[in-house]
Amino acid sequence: MKRKLISLFIIAAILIPLGVVQGAETIKIGALYTMTGRGGQYGKDSEVAIKIALDEVNAKGLPGGAKLDVIITDDKNPQYAVSVAKRYITDEKCKFLFGIISTAIGLAVTEVSKEYKIVFVGTDHAGTDLTANKFQKYYFRSANNTFQSMMAGAYYLKDDVKGWKKIAYIGPDYAYGRDQWMELKWGLDKLGVKYEVVGEYWPKLYEPDYTSYITAIMKAAPDILVNGMWGGDTVAFIKQAKPYGLFSKMKYFHVDAGGNYEALAALGADMPAGLIMSARHHNNWPETAANKTYVQKFYKAAGRYPSYAAEGAYVGVHMIAEAIRKVGNANDSDALVKAMEGMKIQCPEDPQGFTSYIDPKTHQIVQIQAIGTTVKNDKFPPAKYMLGNFKTYPAEKLWPNFEYIEYMTKIKGK
Amino acid sequence: MKKIKAYLPWIVYFVFFLGLLVVNPGTHYIHLVSRVIIFGLYAVAFNLLYGTTGLVSFGHALFYGVGAYITGMLVKATSPEFFVLYILLGAVGAAFVSFFIGLLTLRLTGIYFTMLTLAFAQLVWGLTFKLYNFTGGDDGIQAIAKPEILSGGVTKYYLFSFAVVTICIYVLWRIRRSPFGAVLNSIRQNPQRITFLGLNVYKNQLKAFVISAFFAGAAGGLYAGLDGSIHPDMLHWPTSGNAILMATIGGMGTFFGPIVGAGILTGLEEIVGKYTEYWSFCIGVVVLIVVLLFPNGVLGIKKIGGSKNNEEKETEVVCNSGD
Repeated sequence: MKRKLISLFIIAAILIPLGVVQGAETIKIGALYTMTGRGGQYGKDSEVAIKIALDEVNAKGLPGGAKLDVIITDDKNPQYAVSVAKRYITDEKCKFLFGIISTAIGLAVTEVSKEYKIVFVGTDHAGTDLTANKFQKYYFRSANNTFQSMMAGAYYLKDDVKGWKKIAYIGPDYAYGRDQWMELKWGLDKLGVKYEVVGEYWPKLYEPDYTSYITAIMKAAPDILVNGMWGGDTVAFIKQAKPYGLFSKMKYFHVDAGGNYEALAALGADMPAGLIMSARHHNNWPETAANKTYVQKFYKAAGRYPSYAAEGAYVGVHMIAEAIRKVGNANDSDALVKAMEGMKIQCPEDPQGFTSYIDPKTHQIVQIQAIGTTVKNDKFPPAKYMLGNFKTYPAEKLWPNFEYIEYMTKIKGK
Repeated sequence: MKKIKAYLPWIVYFVFFLGLLVVNPGTHYIHLVSRVIIFGLYAVAFNLLYGTTGLVSFGHALFYGVGAYITGMLVKATSPEFFVLYILLGAVGAAFVSFFIGLLTLRLTGIYFTMLTLAFAQLVWGLTFKLYNFTGGDDGIQAIAKPEILSGGVTKYYLFSFAVVTICIYVLWRIRRSPFGAVLNSIRQNPQRITFLGLNVYKNQLKAFVISAFFAGAAGGLYAGLDGSIHPDMLHWPTSGNAILMATIGGMGTFFGPIVGAGILTGLEEIVGKYTEYWSFCIGVVVLIVVLLFPNGVLGIKKIGGSKNNEEKETEVVCNSGD
């Protein structure tokens, strides 16, 4: 009898852990990012942040001992991205779609998410459409949209810049550039700010030479120049405008992507001081332990500091993990949607006393926006200037804004 | 026996594309093969100019994109009920646009023709990109619905695409084997002889240009329904380049070669893209290998020995009749 019991114990000791191992599910997330070309850095940074978040999430544990895993594919163009998204769902059995830098690709993939009823967490594309006129219930976004940036910008121009009247805009001639300008003007009008538009300039994306635009802007002599560029275009414009003395003749205002670490690092000592900028994440703000730990972890993993795209990816993985914990599994998309609606999620960019949350009606993350000016700071090399003198704008004043959603739907359609 | 040999590609075509449904490899692969047959039609339509008539158009994405945009925009503006009619209208629209572009571009030959087709395509791409309120700009158009009968499951749309593509390809096949097809072949080989025969090279090239654009437009319309979204990339030069690649890889001198090329290119994109972001490098290497080792394309391998196929012999007869 004793021998039998010992034998049973040994068999159980071998089989139980095996059972746990066999039953431990791997929950796959299908991510799409731009991994090559001009937007490639955003994809590479997101990949690093995803790995950091996966380590944290899997170390903390998921129901049933499940593990999260992320597959990343270069998204190329909307046609290809749609095909990959469908492969992720039907062939790779991914439970979530994830990522995407370009709004155009995000708009195409959100249709796949809607068709297959699979949760899609957008981590970097900022086109307001996805959480406004093109909203569908399986879509969530873990980074702010352009409206949040531009509405905060409108408050900044109203409250923190004195004595200006003439304003001009330069931005890339595509939806991202056009939308920012529309949103800023809408915000200024709503806040009752009186202004005169003295110029609108629409260079093409990746324009190599801005000389003609710079001279036209100088001639128009606005008090404020708003720039809606991103990435290499920001770097090229600032480098080319500096010798003309543009930054000493007007205030430079660039609040959606201008203050991205990628641009600060690329410009180094060439970055002029006093430019009004922001980004979706700052490596030096807020000075909380959570932000410092996140930035240092990234630096340790990649040997460089993160651009803002990384934080969206990092937060997105945590959002998914939290939803799985709430639901208990990743198989019921509708339950996951319910779990994510209104979810509170502590992000590296949250200042002390505030926690970002998902707006239950639009599925947009709601966050405090911080706008600063460029000041000398070489703590994050190779950047020689970082943002400082931050002004913050309460999250709930920026999103949701149903009046704007209605306006946008009227203009752009559903 | 000869007859069976002539129809062998058709037998393989039906066995492969219909056999797929018997094997049922899963939703993803049916979607992938749907892309292959639609790209296949686009490439075969393009090859009527490239492989048959000897005109290298670097602007065929324009017609593919116009077909897609007309179909997509009409569905969005009205209802998906008339989806099939809109594909036809997309094809007609592409043919209409091609008539005017052909009138101008076909006055030139060689590289000048190629560059002018590229210029027109880029112009329309730029307009599509910038006419933000009309075309949706770079965001494109999404949620293009299909009629009830084609919705719900990829297999239904696959069968529909297969039926449309097969009809189109059959028409193109008949055109290529017709006296008109022989004239086009002869234009590629020796346009001067065609003039000596009393035939008008320019008019026949224009006819081929319009027919090719019509079927490229039909392929674009079909694609709009497959993914339910369209984008200016469909009109951009890489899409034109893809048509050249598909025809070259598959064999521009063969009728079915471009479909094989479409399969190889789509498959490579799928397999390589799964493992590395350097997919374009791998595709480049494959194209290099094909061009260097199989200059007649994958389906044209058997022609290396110099034996001429029936079409070439027929063309010779047409050409020689002018001597």
